[in-house]
Amino acid sequence: MNSETGHAAAVPAAVPRAADRVAASLKRRYAAERRFRACGLAAVCFAVFCLGVLLFTVFRTAIPAFTQTMIELEVTLYPQEIDPAGTRTADAISTADYQKLIRDALDDLFPDISDRRQRRELMALLSPGATYTLRDTVMADPGLIGRRITVRVPFADDVDQFAKGRFDAAADAASRPLSDKQIEWFQRLEQRGLVHHDFNTTLFTAGDSRSPELAGIWGALVGTFWTMLVTMAISFPLAIGAAVYLEEFAPKNRWTALIEVNINNLAAVPSIVFGLLGLAVFLNVFGLPRSAPLVGGLVLALMTLPIIIIASRAALKAVPPSIREAALGVGASKVQTVFHHVVPLAMPGMLTGAILGMAHALGETAPLLMIGMVAFIVDIPGSPLSAATVMPVQIYLWSDSPERAFVERSAAAIVILLGFLVVMNLVAVVLRRRFERKW
Amino acid sequence: MKMLQEDDAPDAPMERVTTSANGKVKFLTDNVSVFYGAKQALKDIQLNIYANQVTALIGPSGCGKSTYLRCLNRMNDTIPGCRVAGTILLDGEDIYSGEMDPVHLRARVGMVFQKPNPFPKSIFENVAYGPRIHGLAKDRQELEMIVENSLQKAGLWKEVQDRLAQPGTGLSGGQQQRLCIARAIAVQPEVILMDEPCSALDPIATARIEELIDELRQNYTIVIVTHSMQQAARVSQRTGFFHLGSLVETGATGQIFTNPVEQRTQDYITGRFG
Ligand SMILES: Nc1ncnc2c1ncn2[C@@H]1O[C@H](COP(=O)(O)OP(=O)(O)OP(=O)(O)O)[C@@H](O)[C@H]1O
Ligand SMILES: [Mg+2]
Repeated sequence: MNSETGHAAAVPAAVPRAADRVAASLKRRYAAERRFRACGLAAVCFAVFCLGVLLFTVFRTAIPAFTQTMIELEVTLYPQEIDPAGTRTADAISTADYQKLIRDALDDLFPDISDRRQRRELMALLSPGATYTLRDTVMADPGLIGRRITVRVPFADDVDQFAKGRFDAAADAASRPLSDKQIEWFQRLEQRGLVHHDFNTTLFTAGDSRSPELAGIWGALVGTFWTMLVTMAISFPLAIGAAVYLEEFAPKNRWTALIEVNINNLAAVPSIVFGLLGLAVFLNVFGLPRSAPLVGGLVLALMTLPIIIIASRAALKAVPPSIREAALGVGASKVQTVFHHVVPLAMPGMLTGAILGMAHALGETAPLLMIGMVAFIVDIPGSPLSAATVMPVQIYLWSDSPERAFVERSAAAIVILLGFLVVMNLVAVVLRRRFERKW
Repeated sequence: MKMLQEDDAPDAPMERVTTSANGKVKFLTDNVSVFYGAKQALKDIQLNIYANQVTALIGPSGCGKSTYLRCLNRMNDTIPGCRVAGTILLDGEDIYSGEMDPVHLRARVGMVFQKPNPFPKSIFENVAYGPRIHGLAKDRQELEMIVENSLQKAGLWKEVQDRLAQPGTGLSGGQQQRLCIARAIAVQPEVILMDEPCSALDPIATARIEELIDELRQNYTIVIVTHSMQQAARVSQRTGFFHLGSLVETGATGQIFTNPVEQRTQDYITGRFG
């Protein structure tokens, strides 16, 4: 009691009570909090703004690629032109001169043009794909031969660009790809209502092509599918197996520590190094085919392996030890404990890791360049062994092309790739939500 | 110490003593020391656990009660760096010998943990898991019988009989602990080890579990770790007092609580330290 009063007396009255000091400091603390919040908000706003600008430019560039300017032509399918012998075999029909039919149909629309050079210029308005479209139509229904049909065939990419207002008719003739005459003809066609702006199905159904209006992403999508299939089939089981072994069964000694360090290092290796490895090992040593999704998938599997292993080990670590003890306590063996209880509980985390790894692989270009997946490939790949390219490489190839029409197509391909990435990440989030359990 | 020796420590430890004045010896612990790395957690424990009795282990926190309990079903094997020296016999069989399979041992010696730890599966699956992996049921019907019996013995059947498909983690703390007891019983062990089974429970749930322990004693041998003197006095026939890694005193519960031999035991149970 004595000491207490003595203590109180020793404190000068001028010193404010603790509560007052707290009150005085509160203002400063709140100000710091407000400053911090403002900084955070500014950072988020800036990030959202940048993202918005990026997406806006990509989308604005991409949108024209989803439509294609088409011409409506009345073509007479003279039997003597297509199949003079009258055999109607697929062989005979496919080798007919459809270009002549198209040319005739176009000339019919412009009876005033007689000059050969001008007629060639007129023909240049149409895409070389026009003949293929006509041929495919006739091949699909040989009964059309002898009739007069209406087909819609694509304009050449320069005309398409003009129709989309990419360059001005008033501009200097030398600086634009179309001549004054061609522009005039196109405008006459427009007046007659023969020009249509159709949804660009070619973009989704065709492989690559030198002509932008005939180029599509289907080849690259199928190539991506095969590559991802190989990547998934190899990296997922391998990574899960490695993670389960390292986390649950491996003795904790110097060797496993070394392996752990190296797995973490591997996750940080630049992806091009994996491409070099693929080139040196898979192509040169094992002699696997160049440009094949199998090799691409193997390389990307090596690249995603450490990512999935790390995510899976984190997921396994997060399973509470009480669950393991419970299982061991009723007499489950180590393997039963792991596979009946621990792995199922860690599965959502493992799947999330796998999907994020796959999303990473989906956007990868550099290592695939090393193993020749950068080639110009028109055919749709039929198996993991046929030559193929993948979406990001296709984007890279197109963005490198001189034709303006390829610019909007690469933007469209970016939009589609982004769509896939968003879907994959959504699946990862849904999986996590779905299977998240409380214990 | 004199009395302790008369009562418990076998005169010739390696003679595989199976009975004594107190009944059939289920677990015989001779000279057991446990090390976590270099740190010694238990020193020369001599303790007998008798069949169809409840043995309570008391002592201040950190004295090694859980460590001792985990020796009895070799749960310590799962802790890296943990080493057990000495002999523990279950029905005369050395459980740390090469012939003893720890998985088999754990099927014979069940455990209920301090914190209820049901599997994040349905109530039915929680109880059915053990019998299933051990192949105790021929068919689904028999499995359902085992589950029902176990839940009934654990006093949980009435509360959960119409929601067996719901997750076990959705039950209350006390119900979860009884579910864990049912899970342990379902394997039909000979011994049940309970590490502070009531530490997270309210007095009503505690009373139910104590009742349950008393019933289970008919068929099982029970070892229970508890911090509650009253609980030890209520449920156990024998009590062991641990302090700083040593077994200070052991004997009939009545004798330990009314007339302990050691001063330290006296101090602990009267609440003078600990
Ligand atoms: N896994 C472990 N690694 C290292 N030391 C441990 C480990 N588990 C327990 N110990 C140590 O062993 C000693 C005994 O621990 P134990 O858990 O057996 O105590 P306890 O009597 O059960 O205590 P409580 O009543 O608090 O549960 C303690 O000093 C503890 O720090
Ligand atoms: Mg304990």
